Amino acid sequence: MKEEKLIKRLNELAEQTAEPVRPGLAEDIKHHIPRQISPHRRGMDTINIIIDLRINKLAAAAIIIMALILLANFFSSRDSSGAGLLQDSKMLVSYLLRDRADGANLSAVKSRYEHLIQKSEQAVYYGDKADPQDRSAVLLQWKLPDGNYRVITGDLQEKTVSADELIELLSRMLQEK
Amino acid sequence: MQDRQDSLAARLMAGEHGAAAELVDKYYEQIYLFIRRLGHDCQISEDLTQETFFQAWHHIGQLRDDKALNAWLYRIAGNVSRHYWRKHMGSKAASIEKIDVPDRSKAQHDKIEYYEQLGHLKNAIERLPWKLRQTVVLHYLQHLSITKAAEAAGVREGTFKSRLNRALRILRKQVI
Repeated sequence: MKEEKLIKRLNELAEQTAEPVRPGLAEDIKHHIPRQISPHRRGMDTINIIIDLRINKLAAAAIIIMALILLANFFSSRDSSGAGLLQDSKMLVSYLLRDRADGANLSAVKSRYEHLIQKSEQAVYYGDKADPQDRSAVLLQWKLPDGNYRVITGDLQEKTVSADELIELLSRMLQEK
Repeated sequence: MQDRQDSLAARLMAGEHGAAAELVDKYYEQIYLFIRRLGHDCQISEDLTQETFFQAWHHIGQLRDDKALNAWLYRIAGNVSRHYWRKHMGSKAASIEKIDVPDRSKAQHDKIEYYEQLGHLKNAIERLPWKLRQTVVLHYLQHLSITKAAEAAGVREGTFKSRLNRALRILRKQVI
């Protein structure tokens, strides 16, 4: 189809698809207008600016808390240039990112599981039940054509194990629970 | 007209309750049709229209440019719709049942062909990748100018034009 004709058809499609909107819809929406619409809050400016810079909220929170620590050190008698501040910052960052890293690992394994299921593989995902801190816990297993099993463990290592080895790994997980 | 819109944005930013109701009256039809044309069914489109306004009130503090109210609302609606598609990846795009094909026995052959062509075009739009679908819907079906539509899509004008060209190329191939 020529471009002019296509654009003409698109305009005609716009007319054809301009269906009437249910009259009560506007009222339904209006019923849910909050009593107090939260306008621009000056106190949130710093957070908004940092989030607008496309930094995620967690990182924005970390930056703000680190800035507060810096200020607290500056006004207190503690040595702000020494290892104390660095140590505080390291602890804060590792604390904030710990759960996130676990979550990211699990979601990668979950995606792999979904991919295997789509390929009709016999896969079982244990990520919902396994302890992500346990490096030897089986997060995902699927059967190979030769009768062995492929597993992904908590340390994200992928290896092939026999049926007996898999049973041993799974029973160890159960015992640890 | 622009002054009125500017003042509406200013009143919204000031947290005025009446301005929120005015915003609904002014834009709910456009937003509903936009979401509907992106391929959602009637019920989902109503829900997503409501969600769009909730999001707008919730993020009213982010409305900075008075003149950008229209594009800002479209942008929220686009995000709400895209979020829904992501969440329901398997769900099929719903057709807009509005295209009434006249009875074959009475209508002229070319008239039938015309409606069939519109049907094919509509299906082809619904099969486009989300970003291209949004581009076509904003510019050709919602009749937003390139500048406004690019703003609503959250991209530069150049990027928007290039997406539009890509979408038209695909549609030209698919609709004979």
